[in-house]
Amino acid sequence: MKIAVCLRRVPDTTTKIVIGSTGTSIDESGVKFVPNPYDEYAIEAALALKEKAGAGETVVVALGSDVVQETMRTALAMGVDRGVHLQGTPSVDGLENARVLAEHLRNGGYDVVLFGKLAVDDYGQQTGAMVAELLELPCATAISKLELADGRASVEREVEGGVEQATCALPAVFTCDKGLNNPRLPSLKGIMAAKKKPLEVVPVAPQAGATTVVALALPPERAAGRIVGEGAAAVPALMQLLTTEAKAI
Amino acid sequence: MGAILPVRHQAPLPADLICRDAPDSEAIELDVLIVGAGPAGLACAIQLAKSAPDLAIGVLEKAGALGEHSLSGAVVNPVALRALFPDKQDRDFPFRQQVEGEAVYFMTASGSARIPTPPTMKNHGNYTASLCELVRWLGEQAESLGVNIFPGFPAQSLLVAGQRVIGVRTVRGGLDREGNPTDVVQEPTDLVGKVVVLAEGTRGPLAQAWRDWQGIGSVNPQIFALGVKEVWEVERPLDRVIHTLGWPLPSDAFGGSWCYPMGPGQLSIGLVVGLDYHDARLDVHESLQRLKLHPLFREVLTGGKLLEWGAKTIPEGGYHAIPERLSGDGLVMIGDTAGFVDVPSLKGIHYAMESGMLAAAAIAAALQSSGTADTCQLAAYDRAVRQSRIVTDMHMTRNMRLAFKHGLFGGAIRAGLMTLSRGAFPGGRIAMPKDAEAPRTSHPAPPFVPDNVRTFSKVDAVFKSGNATRDTIPSHLIVGQDITGEVADFYAHLCPAGVYERHGDTLRVNPPNCVDCKATDVLGPRWTPREGGSGPKYRLM
Amino acid sequence: MADILAVIETRAGTVRKGAAELLSAARRLADASGGKVDALVCVNGQVSGADVLGPSGADNVLTASHESFANYCPDGITATVASLAAKYRAILVSATATGKDLAPRIAARISAACAMDVTAIDVSGEAIRVVRPVYAGKAVQTVQLAGTSTVIVMRPGAYAAAANGRAGTAASVPVPPFVRRLEVTGIRTSDKGALDVAEARVVISGGRGLGDPRHFALLDDLAAAFGGEAAVGASRAVVDAGWAEHGAQVGQTGKTVSPELYIAVGISGAIQHLAGMRTAKVIVAINRDKDAPIFKVADYGIVGDLFEVVPALTAAVKAAKAH
Repeated sequence: MKIAVCLRRVPDTTTKIVIGSTGTSIDESGVKFVPNPYDEYAIEAALALKEKAGAGETVVVALGSDVVQETMRTALAMGVDRGVHLQGTPSVDGLENARVLAEHLRNGGYDVVLFGKLAVDDYGQQTGAMVAELLELPCATAISKLELADGRASVEREVEGGVEQATCALPAVFTCDKGLNNPRLPSLKGIMAAKKKPLEVVPVAPQAGATTVVALALPPERAAGRIVGEGAAAVPALMQLLTTEAKAI
Repeated sequence: MGAILPVRHQAPLPADLICRDAPDSEAIELDVLIVGAGPAGLACAIQLAKSAPDLAIGVLEKAGALGEHSLSGAVVNPVALRALFPDKQDRDFPFRQQVEGEAVYFMTASGSARIPTPPTMKNHGNYTASLCELVRWLGEQAESLGVNIFPGFPAQSLLVAGQRVIGVRTVRGGLDREGNPTDVVQEPTDLVGKVVVLAEGTRGPLAQAWRDWQGIGSVNPQIFALGVKEVWEVERPLDRVIHTLGWPLPSDAFGGSWCYPMGPGQLSIGLVVGLDYHDARLDVHESLQRLKLHPLFREVLTGGKLLEWGAKTIPEGGYHAIPERLSGDGLVMIGDTAGFVDVPSLKGIHYAMESGMLAAAAIAAALQSSGTADTCQLAAYDRAVRQSRIVTDMHMTRNMRLAFKHGLFGGAIRAGLMTLSRGAFPGGRIAMPKDAEAPRTSHPAPPFVPDNVRTFSKVDAVFKSGNATRDTIPSHLIVGQDITGEVADFYAHLCPAGVYERHGDTLRVNPPNCVDCKATDVLGPRWTPREGGSGPKYRLM
Repeated sequence: MADILAVIETRAGTVRKGAAELLSAARRLADASGGKVDALVCVNGQVSGADVLGPSGADNVLTASHESFANYCPDGITATVASLAAKYRAILVSATATGKDLAPRIAARISAACAMDVTAIDVSGEAIRVVRPVYAGKAVQTVQLAGTSTVIVMRPGAYAAAANGRAGTAASVPVPPFVRRLEVTGIRTSDKGALDVAEARVVISGGRGLGDPRHFALLDDLAAAFGGEAAVGASRAVVDAGWAEHGAQVGQTGKTVSPELYIAVGISGAIQHLAGMRTAKVIVAINRDKDAPIFKVADYGIVGDLFEVVPALTAAVKAAKAH
């Protein structure tokens, strides 16, 4: 069983966002970078699939500059067998990144390719499904359950009002959501072993694509709150505000 | 209402800090194990890696990432960094800015008077810095030299065989409040090595346990101060390093405040108070909040924003509190763990690093000659420290902090005379009790109501420390005996993070709030190591 | 002249709610250059509920029918859209679970960029500009999308439905041959227990002001009125008093609970409880004390007796949800 996991390096979710000097990206100074949390579900799924199959190989693939290697070490410390660093600056265009990933994965002989559902920086939520489409492979996104049997997969994912069930043949691509598993923590032994695991570097050059970031800004300041009224009589006014102004209902 | 004697209510040191089990068959084998990735531990690792590149070195750190439990003012003397990195220039080090001017003020409730800067506090040639950033930078240097750094792995116990320390066992993580395993359990791991370097920082549990076990005392007991610190984004830059004495502290408490420029638009401000204070209601966090409203600081903070908050204790016993022995079979103590802080100059970082480097030299020599690290070999470290500037400087100021034990004014006079005589007056040693043996009584205090613009409650403060410890974590604090309502109140004011609350006449404990400052270990419930990654996540401290 | 295709989500042959809002967004784009809006519906056989599409702005309603469309069929819909895509400047999809699954597939098939979870769209010369949240809503990104075609996934409610009546001329379009790689077999009901406070879109928290543990039932009723997207939380004081389970506790150590709507009932706001939920998008406070600190933190507040206000609010929410 050969499994690839695609990994992104992202700012920690507690980061205070400061807009950088170009006005189109964040100021990265002092920012703590971590593996994309959703990708951890994918890593855990890969490790569990290999353990269940009894034999096989897990590979972590990451697109980025050299800093991404440190992030890959976490995956290796969790137990992934080897890594491939697609060395190049990621595009802001998801399709261009997907093209680079698909090219590399195409001839890898993978039974399963796993992604996290989305990356917590750009919230693009597209790379995995695009890679599948480019490779003409079956794909299910945002899965919270995955079972393999006899060369086929059964998956579940949450949709509005229920849980959607689907099946497909392997090889296939899945993007993973919270609820799929509980990612294991790297052990000390795993951290030490990670340093010796193979990490291949492959230069790539994602194109700019059709997407350009024009501006990145902080959201508008929260307006001062106000007391809407007194007693049950104020409820209609509150509902009105919640529905139209706050769009929270 | 009688006086509270904190020691009466304290639990003993847990026995499991020293573990006589044989190490696990799958124990990780390294040559040198360093407990604590602060400036001392990392300087030791770097120096070892440079001078003895064949050694396998591992550094265990309880914070989830380097720097997240590191906190200091800080104004750093660059001398140790220059010695550790002779090929680098000052501009290569992660300092914030050079100290350009400084001022010391004596404060009253409504005003302040500038006083001449005591010679011990002069900072010309030094730099302001964030210890977090310095530690992260040192960590990168260490890793590039092949040092194994393990963040998120706190040490639970020292593994010993006979009288020798042979390794460390890490904490078991992933249990719930009742002690049952959750979905993500982390089993303890054993690491064995030829020598363990204790660089746990202030009030380290393993160092306490080892000294207890080996019967290593000191002339005076170690005493501590609690510092509460905030980092602010400000509109107006601060043009000088500021220290203050006096208000808001009562005259029978030792301490003062600082305010340091941290580069354009940022400053650090904090208050340090000796834990031998006499008023059971003294609350360092609240006192810092009040300080920020004083005319001296009000203006510079106007329009500013609180970025981060933190707290930590500092060993203040000085020269007389240095342990009689700093090393033994398979173990050395460095940094704050050994008490290398000079209180009058408020310096500890460069001493920590220097002690780490001296330990590295002794360890390398021992391992390269015989492959073992015995007491007699490691005594070379002890000798090196005693001859170093660490001890020379601390000796000169050996009685200065202690002179304040009876109050500010007498202390100031004595301190002034000590400075003028470069330590010759009064000679001898001023005896000092343990902090927990100093009695305290309650004095009424006005209630503190935060305005949420300049001043904040403890829970808000803990939020700003980045603390996101899971609520279901088992308690790591060992409460002692006879905890009355008054004692609960005392704990509630003692702890800057709101871990303790008085409820009727009982004590309520909120362990997830803990930011590992260790004040509790000094005066209240025992602090024990807990799951890796717990506690604060400082980025700017 | 740029024509826009809106791919309308259906389930069991019925148009899903949100179609009118999606068409409103499509209309905005099309009207900027005098183009048309076509709505595409993929079903097995007859579609119901499509009569809202014309009045909501669709010039044409295209129906593609295939037996595989009895359930959601991403491969079939992708193939169908791809066969039509050359005619459209942009293809719009609603950011539901299904829409977010579908959009990237279409984009990759037609070699177009895909912008996810868009809150505003505009035409800027030849390009389309969109605004979307990033970094968990901590920042807002403006993105320019070039190319002859683009896939845009609209956040539901970004544009309100507008009575923008168009002909809605019905037409059928063929489904090209496709390989069904993923077979959706159905939708089952969720077996998840009570929604976790950390994940719920709406959190209703009760404090000491409730007076008695039995009064938590009032909050349970309000949560139920939100129809499965609300969880009931509790202040720490309440959990420690044993009125609510620990799992309901809204973090007092500053853990972030970040719902879209946070309703604090009978909570004074002594910050014990608020430090970690400040990032809630909208905060509503109900308290009898007009000077309670919670009102400084809340976006909207009602001063009054919660035993009167909460039932009234429950009724109002139920009524709103029924539409």
